[in-house]
Amino acid sequence: MEWQVWLSIAGITLSTFLARSTLLVAGSRLRLPPRVESALRFAPACALAAIVLPDLAYVQGVLQFDLHNARLLAGVVATVFFALTRSMTGTIGLGMCAYWALRYLAGP
Amino acid sequence: MPEVTRRDAFLRGARELLPAGPGVFAWGLVTGVAMVKSGLTVGQALGLSLAAYAGSAQLAALPLIAAVAPVWLVTLTALVVNLRFVVYSAITRGHFAHLGAGRRLWLGYIVGDVMFVKFTTLLAREPDYPHRVPYYVGGAVCNWVLWQISSIVGILAADAIPATWGLELAGTLALIALIVPLCNRWPALGGVVVAGTVAVLTHALPLRLGLLAGMVSGMAAALWIESRLDARGSGS
Repeated sequence: MEWQVWLSIAGITLSTFLARSTLLVAGSRLRLPPRVESALRFAPACALAAIVLPDLAYVQGVLQFDLHNARLLAGVVATVFFALTRSMTGTIGLGMCAYWALRYLAGP
Repeated sequence: MPEVTRRDAFLRGARELLPAGPGVFAWGLVTGVAMVKSGLTVGQALGLSLAAYAGSAQLAALPLIAAVAPVWLVTLTALVVNLRFVVYSAITRGHFAHLGAGRRLWLGYIVGDVMFVKFTTLLAREPDYPHRVPYYVGGAVCNWVLWQISSIVGILAADAIPATWGLELAGTLALIALIVPLCNRWPALGGVVVAGTVAVLTHALPLRLGLLAGMVSGMAAALWIESRLDARGSGS
């Protein structure tokens, strides 16, 4: 139903604001325990890793942790290349080329 | 040395985001295509992209919208997928505390993964950098513009972009390039390994809760490794 789709879009927008702005609007009234403050330093790296690894390891919903997984191999190529060169654009370009080449080599 | 102006800081924030541009762009493109392919009209897809501005939450909500799931369930799903941003805002809140509530609301809304990592990198490297907020806004605006343009192109050209190209991988590769420099010390590296492993193992959890499980266990592991290293260091 048309109106329900628009309500859902409004709901997703609301969740964007709730997740990203609630703590900011609450501001410094909220105090966190020192251990939690300390753990926050590792949040960006850990969040990104928790997004990236499942994304590479699962192929159409099935765990494929082996050499036939072109996405995983392209990810390894990209990691090594970035560690050596620190070039983000090059990493994205080379990683995509590696992915397409691996798929081409594996055949249809 | 000339003084750094707010304008310089804004432009620097935008400029430092640009190398990740191809990744952000490919990701937006794929999200745009996915929205139309899941059955949203062009108008609905544009509305969702422009209002919600939440790549992974949008993607997670699509199957639910297509199945005409209740609105509260769609909202809850998007909220859970967005939960890592609660943790991000716990980091930024101290830097925005001097601003009005309205400004803080919008500064939260425009956050994105890539610009956020750039922002925390700046805070770590130059703790005394004077214009943090314009730097943050510069990166966020650049991120927003790239995302919306690519999303709109994806929505309008959905039929011309085959899913078999696997373009979404470009976004993941950009994130890899963000993770590598953050792993410069043992605690962070250990945290990343644990976070990724736990997220893979808990992938089957509903509402993409595996992401949250991975992030939290990675943070705990990093903290534990750090305390072990400190104990060893002070004991010698």
